[in-house]
Amino acid sequence: MNHPRQTPLVRWAITHPRTVFWGLGVLTVLFTALLPLIQIDTDPENMLPEDNPERVFHNQVQERFSMHDTLVVGMVHPDGIYQPRLLADLHSVTRYAEQLGGVISPDVMSLASVDNITQNEQNTLRFEWMMRTPPETAQDAERIRTQVEDLPLLFDTLVSADGKAASVYIPIEDKNRSYALSRNIRAHIDTLDSDAQWHVTGLPVAEDRFGHEMFVQMGISAPLAGLTIFLLLWVFFRNIPFILSPMIVAMATVLITMGALIGAGFTVHIMSSMIAIFLMPIAVVDSVHILSEFADRYRRGANAKVVVTEVMSHLFKPMLLTSVTSAVGFFSLMLTPIPPVQIFGFFVGMGILLAFAMTIVVVPAYLTSLNPSTLDRMVDRLPDEDKTRLAGALTALGRAARARTRLWVLGFSALFAVSVWGITQIQINDNPVRWFKADHELRIADRTLNDHFAGTYDAYLVFDSTVSPDAQARELLDEAMAKEILSENQQAWLSAQRDALTGEHALSDLILALDDRLFETSGTDARVFETLMEELEQLQSRGQTFLQPTILAYLDRLESALIDTGRVGKSNSLVDVVKTVNRELRSGEAKDFQLPSSAEAVAQTLLQYQSSHRPQDLWHFVTPDYQSSLIWLQLTSGDNQQMSAVVDAVNRYIQDHPLPEGLSMQWAGKTYLNVVWQSEMVEGMATSLVSAFVIVLVMMVLLFRSLWFGLIAMLPLTLTITGIYGLIGWIGKDYDMPIAVLSALTLGLSIDFAIHFVERARATARATGDWSQTLDVMFREPARAIARNAIVIAVGFTPLLLAPLVPYITVGVFLASIMALSALVTLVLLPVVITLLRRILFGFQDSPENASTHTDRSPIE
Amino acid sequence: MNRSTNRAMTWLNTVTAAALMLLTALAYGEEPMTDARAIVEKAEQVAFYSGQDGRTEARMLITDRQNRRQVRQFTLLRRTREDNSTQDMMVFFSRPADVRNTVFRVIKRVGTEDDRWLYLPGLDLVKRISAGDKRTAFVGSHFFYEDVSGRSTQLDHYELLETTEEVYRLKGTPKDPASVEFDHYIVAIDRKTMLPVSTDYKNAQGKTYRQMEVLEIQTIEGYPTVTHSVMRDLETGGQTEMQFRNIAYDLGLPESVFSERSLRNPPTEWLN
Repeated sequence: MNHPRQTPLVRWAITHPRTVFWGLGVLTVLFTALLPLIQIDTDPENMLPEDNPERVFHNQVQERFSMHDTLVVGMVHPDGIYQPRLLADLHSVTRYAEQLGGVISPDVMSLASVDNITQNEQNTLRFEWMMRTPPETAQDAERIRTQVEDLPLLFDTLVSADGKAASVYIPIEDKNRSYALSRNIRAHIDTLDSDAQWHVTGLPVAEDRFGHEMFVQMGISAPLAGLTIFLLLWVFFRNIPFILSPMIVAMATVLITMGALIGAGFTVHIMSSMIAIFLMPIAVVDSVHILSEFADRYRRGANAKVVVTEVMSHLFKPMLLTSVTSAVGFFSLMLTPIPPVQIFGFFVGMGILLAFAMTIVVVPAYLTSLNPSTLDRMVDRLPDEDKTRLAGALTALGRAARARTRLWVLGFSALFAVSVWGITQIQINDNPVRWFKADHELRIADRTLNDHFAGTYDAYLVFDSTVSPDAQARELLDEAMAKEILSENQQAWLSAQRDALTGEHALSDLILALDDRLFETSGTDARVFETLMEELEQLQSRGQTFLQPTILAYLDRLESALIDTGRVGKSNSLVDVVKTVNRELRSGEAKDFQLPSSAEAVAQTLLQYQSSHRPQDLWHFVTPDYQSSLIWLQLTSGDNQQMSAVVDAVNRYIQDHPLPEGLSMQWAGKTYLNVVWQSEMVEGMATSLVSAFVIVLVMMVLLFRSLWFGLIAMLPLTLTITGIYGLIGWIGKDYDMPIAVLSALTLGLSIDFAIHFVERARATARATGDWSQTLDVMFREPARAIARNAIVIAVGFTPLLLAPLVPYITVGVFLASIMALSALVTLVLLPVVITLLRRILFGFQDSPENASTHTDRSPIE
Repeated sequence: MNRSTNRAMTWLNTVTAAALMLLTALAYGEEPMTDARAIVEKAEQVAFYSGQDGRTEARMLITDRQNRRQVRQFTLLRRTREDNSTQDMMVFFSRPADVRNTVFRVIKRVGTEDDRWLYLPGLDLVKRISAGDKRTAFVGSHFFYEDVSGRSTQLDHYELLETTEEVYRLKGTPKDPASVEFDHYIVAIDRKTMLPVSTDYKNAQGKTYRQMEVLEIQTIEGYPTVTHSVMRDLETGGQTEMQFRNIAYDLGLPESVFSERSLRNPPTEWLN
């Protein structure tokens, strides 16, 4: 850029402003027209690719055990919920929910919809609705308490252990309807005039609210960012027509990028909802450079075209470079295995390149189309740059940087060391519920319900039988077919059955077919068939893994061990079903709360459970073929750390007590999936950060044609990012999704300052031939440009602080502070380091009077 | 009672039944009935009180919406007491193998709670059961206990909605709505056999959520008998098919078959 040259594109833009404006207008309108196709996606599951094996398994489990997205209504009363009027309210809400369209009413769970299994009189088993109609007296209400406290599957799930809360679980068909349904339920609760405290929550509600808050963010924060930047530019240039072009570029960039994203069929996820607010400040930065330099060079009566051409020939290369490095930072996010993060990285990266392309075309065309009198007015009103408060502060900063270079180096090194230690202390943890602010109604509901109940966060330990009885069935058929007493046509029939022995119900189908056949068979054939039948049935019984007492006993011990860790609020499984029914079949007393001793006894116990009003509940715990079963764990916290600790506890248990033979175990449940994508993200981010670092370093070395300058340029951002993440470790803030995402992209943004500083410093040093003079110059106009850009970006992100969701606020705070800090560090660290290394870097011998008061020897020498 | 008396009685019953059928045909064949109460009571007789006693083998195929299946196979013995309303029933399970020899014993009483007992061989346990209501699942199927034992027509109000060539269509409304899960039901009764051939259970919104349909009727020993029916749960998407075979009426089942003794010692001679 030391050799000013005409850029053909810029020249064309200056001579064809109308075409430029029309082109921009048409392009913007075209892409804006795609915006209404927007599809919001708030499902945390989508943090994992659709073919992620853990996600696929999770969804299979949901299907296999008939689980649905569920709304949770909580009723809390400080005096206890076992009061007739409160139970009447609960009853009313349950009945109301059951008749709502879109609710899977047979699976609604509440005191008003479940069965009570009890011993009525001596030796009498009684099945009845727990609360078909609301109790009329206090004694009736109290009786419900006694009954439900005796049923381990319901106690601490449908009613809290302290008796102060009750819940209604409402499974729904389509979670997109959760908002409408929860609003209906809320409205019904309001008609009750209940003095209890009510909460309507659950994952689908949370997701829905999340989507709503995302729209709020996009609708408020992004335009606010635009307004903030506009005001800042006005403070800098004091002329509205003059500063309109950056705003036009920023708006067009945001609209075209979002239009392209939506038009390409991508959903707008929490990450992509931030694209607008990211692009807005970044898109303005290049224009700020052009406007600054234009304002510096333009004098009354000058030819705007000439000035613009001059400015553009200076700035083209650094602008291209800073845009490319920023884009690289964002593109590196595509290396993470998290699809929403990949999409975000790609579109922001493309948006930055688009902003660059539009800046070099639109801004020159715009400036040269302005009325010369407007430009003259602008120049007249421009504040004297050297007398601003910013200029004064920067000069002071320059002086400070030059004094005591070694002390600075020591300070920065100490800071770096402390930061690295801080980084080792980082706690990786996330919980999508905490993406809402602490005072959000969903957070309050979350806290309240988890205070009272055994936990509203679900994870599932899924056990599968790995042996199929089909092969053995074939052997039995072969044996029977080989028997000589069997007539030929029956042999042929068996052979056909053998061939048909595939698929889910193969063995059961065979038994039924054989039973039918036996009906029409007699003589020796019948005897062969009867023997075969007996063997097949034995095979089938043995194959029903989760009726075997030894297997159930293993699950039972595992559950106890997990409860003993203190990390699991409650666990529910087939074991609890069997034990409860067994108890009521026998004495009804605690001593009989145990597993029966044979598979037949377990099967007969379950046959009784299936004679209730809700036989289908059994299939939430085991599949009808008894080949697959699960333990449902309730956790009081959705924190990844909590879930990981439970996973570790299970792994330890299985290590010490190996799974029974023929059994496999796998995790499912949203709380578990969060852990999966979280850990993929942490690993992915490391890759993305390292590769962005390497790519940017290589670019710097190539740009400066010097390894030393390349390395030096990387120093400020390295120190800043290390410092910020060190701080996170020190203050104990959880390393979560937004923080993880920030690392790589801040790298791409904060390198800009170093590029400008090093580039200008080298040019000035070459011109002056003296480092001290160079520093004087550097802390005037170049430092101001850097500071101004840092302010634009940092302040541009601050509207995120007003956003309704925590990740946005985190991103706002961190980006703003990283930008501000890295500009500051650039302005201090680079002069210090270059001063110390000036002999290597420039070949300057010395300049004793100003370079450094303490030393003129580089510590590297 | 010995076997020959039995046979004589069977013969007598058959003749009586045939005569009744003839009378029915004469009385109702041409002229449709118009009294709802008379229609349902006649249907109740045909569906649950045919013969003095009876035996059938039943097989239930229970499928859920994912087409996963469970099987229940049992033999049902039934005997109507002299009052022509109280019935003794025994249900002997044979399949799946692990519930084999599980037995239900029921004394069905009209207008009051039934007496029910259960024998579970795996737990070597006879247990008396008292249910809050009769609308619980019958051993995990989509049929309710009451669908198998027979819901008394005394419990509902009836209204004749229409009379077509084939069926009488009636609306049943419970006298005690709190005791049942349905708001009302629409039952179609075949004019020829007087057997209910379909029942749609409706909720308060008038939506059918549960549906029984008869798929096959055979006349056995002169009695029109349902041999294949299905109960669909439209809410969960599951259904249970029930097939009957080896049906016999008027076997002369002795009273002793329907005793507590039979729970542990199945009367095998009456089971096939």
